[in-house]
Amino acid sequence: MGAWLHDSLTWSDAIIIFLWAVVFLFVVLGFVTYAIYFERKVIGWMQLRIGPNRVGPLGMLQTVADIFKLLIKEDTIPRKADRLLFVLAPILCYVPAFTVLAVIPYTEKLYFADLNVGLLYYAALSGISTLAIVLGGWASNNKYALLGGMRSAAQMISYEVPLVISVVGVILLSGSLNLRDIVDAQAGGWFWDWNFLPQIIGFVVFLIAAVSELNRTPFDLPEAESELVAGYHVEYSGFRFAFFMLSEYVYVYAIAALTTVLFLGGWHAPAPFLDFVPGIIWFLLKFAFIVFFLFWIRATFPRIRVDQLMGLGWKVLLPVSLLNVFLTAGYLELFVK
Amino acid sequence: MNGLVQGLGVTLKSMVSKKVTTSYPDEPILMPDRFRGIQHFIPDLCIVCNQCARICPTDCITLTGKPNPDPTKKVKVIDTFDINFEICILCDLCTEVCPTEAIVMTNHFELSAFSRDDLFKDVQWLTDNNTLVRQDNNNIGAPAKGGAK
Amino acid sequence: MIRTEELLLNVGPQHPSTHGVFRIVVKLDGEVITEATPVMGYLHRGTEKLAEQLNYTQIIPYTDRMDYVSAMTNNYVLVHAVETMMNLEIPERAEFMRLIVMELQRIASHLVWWGTYLLDIGAMSPFLYAFRDREIIINLFNELSGARLTYNYMRVGGVKWDAPPGWLDKVRDFIPYMKGKLREYDKLVSGNEIFLARIKGIGRYDAATAINYGLSGANLRCTGVDWDLRKAEPYSLYNRFEFDVPLGKNGDCYDRYVIRLEEIRQSLRILEQALEQMPSGGETMGKVPRAIRPPAGEVYVRIESPRGEIGCHIVSKGKAEPYRLKFRRPSFVNLQILPKLLVGETMTNLITILGGVDIVVGEVDC
Repeated sequence: MGAWLHDSLTWSDAIIIFLWAVVFLFVVLGFVTYAIYFERKVIGWMQLRIGPNRVGPLGMLQTVADIFKLLIKEDTIPRKADRLLFVLAPILCYVPAFTVLAVIPYTEKLYFADLNVGLLYYAALSGISTLAIVLGGWASNNKYALLGGMRSAAQMISYEVPLVISVVGVILLSGSLNLRDIVDAQAGGWFWDWNFLPQIIGFVVFLIAAVSELNRTPFDLPEAESELVAGYHVEYSGFRFAFFMLSEYVYVYAIAALTTVLFLGGWHAPAPFLDFVPGIIWFLLKFAFIVFFLFWIRATFPRIRVDQLMGLGWKVLLPVSLLNVFLTAGYLELFVK
Repeated sequence: MNGLVQGLGVTLKSMVSKKVTTSYPDEPILMPDRFRGIQHFIPDLCIVCNQCARICPTDCITLTGKPNPDPTKKVKVIDTFDINFEICILCDLCTEVCPTEAIVMTNHFELSAFSRDDLFKDVQWLTDNNTLVRQDNNNIGAPAKGGAK
Repeated sequence: MIRTEELLLNVGPQHPSTHGVFRIVVKLDGEVITEATPVMGYLHRGTEKLAEQLNYTQIIPYTDRMDYVSAMTNNYVLVHAVETMMNLEIPERAEFMRLIVMELQRIASHLVWWGTYLLDIGAMSPFLYAFRDREIIINLFNELSGARLTYNYMRVGGVKWDAPPGWLDKVRDFIPYMKGKLREYDKLVSGNEIFLARIKGIGRYDAATAINYGLSGANLRCTGVDWDLRKAEPYSLYNRFEFDVPLGKNGDCYDRYVIRLEEIRQSLRILEQALEQMPSGGETMGKVPRAIRPPAGEVYVRIESPRGEIGCHIVSKGKAEPYRLKFRRPSFVNLQILPKLLVGETMTNLITILGGVDIVVGEVDC
């Protein structure tokens, strides 16, 4: 697939690339639909309930019905809202969420853009969504939304830093920013060749910062429903609200995929004798485990406080991730070189 | 860190444990015998003593009597008997004071309606509401017996 | 210097964490509260005024609706006041039944508090765990009195119903079950570092402040003041049982949390002893005159509800209806410290502190 990108752009190539993007969009939408379904099921089971079970067999069509409801709902814009920004914010939130998916490799053969600065591309684009959340909170002309938006800005900026620095160790080990090369560097046959063990500090920091970037429990401060009602999207309804939710779940997809690629060995099997199983299965299994882990955390933990969040980000995660960079560099200098 | 991990263990264990929800509208909920549901009224037993209307804390019972069709008997018979379920709080006091157990509780509790008019139940409706009637009414407040049962 | 404007934020009456229709108007500087004004009365139903037209039996269902999370203690404070005025003798069996339902109610009420407090803090699951266990108590009450929330169970002179066959055994089985569940709660929440960081040292006040504001219940005991009416002024049969009054030291939300969970354990202890000592039979209604007309005069009785000291002040003119009926509602009194506590706290701590006070809006507004 990456081959097309290197060819000169002709009309037929452009159409093929576009069609692939559309197909991929539907794959992602399908993921979001069933991620929400499984989130509700998993959290339901953990809360001694059975979760959605009325719409369709086993409630499989529940999310479809929910999305349909959002589509046909009245689209309200508060009279005193800043119309342009209010309309722009959900789009601005979703577009980067979808574009970051371009660099993620699924198997050796299956990938879209083979970018040599893939990781930087991801970090840079995902920062734009923060802007959309602040804009949405500001444009709503609602005090709760504003507080949610400001919290989101503070939170995402402070967690972007440890998030990126925590992967520097991985970059040092594999010597590349290209996500495919990073996965290749983890090949060795056994699961201890994956980055999560040699980079255990980076892995933990990355996970914490990633959950925070996703605005999910225990870091769901921008939309803390017990404090800020619904946070930045309190005034959004119908399809615009759906776009915010959609981008949140697309980021769940992105982060789960990124964690798999960076730390869990991508498509590699955990042991050499398991190599007969196709790589995509291993990728999906690891991916599904990360997604499940996010749901599991949400069912268990309470929410952290704003000042503690900032303290954790700047005083703990940042120094620890810097330390990880130095440790990795020292290890490489002393033992590998 | 230990606390966080323990918490994760509890939720993981709950995930596979028995669920506690019931599928209520599909399977009706059976209430215990003493349950205080919508009243059942038995006109033949009523002696029009007005006790129930007097004890009602929300004044939701209105009743009228008429002279007995049998001229040899002095006691009145019930003519109209209405309960307004907009304000009835199902507190059980009317059945508690009724000396003849003409008004008793049932185990029915589904009262929701689309119109407020539907919540005004007359003697016919209350008489027909004759299923799942409470067995033990324990009318400790009734004047004839008095004291504990 | 940067010019900052203060933000006037209206929290409630429709807000997920005000536990009903309670409203606080806060002035915010950034996320820090500079002034907080509670506005109450959105659930006012005029219970005390209504009571002046009702006879004493008719008032009982109204008390159910005051603190709807703990209806049994409300029932008790009213009938206890009337019985004190009339000098009535209550059969032992009836008094034991009252005590058992009141302690069960205390557990159920604390479970509601525990679940909703964690919901305020942002954890969803504990709420459903607590309601699973509360459901058992509610079902027991349903079997006993025929209602799940508004029991209307006690009467002047006794209780309406004796325990149905097998009911006491179910209560007996509940005690070890609940003890096990409390251990599960501790595992799930009490050691959680995020939770502890959220509540430790938040909403602190000292004993003198607590007494000056008239706080009671766990809100008072968290400062170390040993004041539980079950021990200090034993009513009902509480002087027959052995139990401890859990006390705090720091007067913060964490102490209140620990005290309430410990009170569930102590209630289970009382229940164990009560089931042991309970007479196997006997009347459940004492000898009560046909018309309940307390002699002219005044009486104030107080008991320990799950939220603190609930009192009932009756002024009687010798009629079937009270001349004036006044309830001292612990939620209302405990809430008065809120404007003082909230200044200087963040928006997040507002929810933590408000939840920690444990109010029931039906009782605040009455």
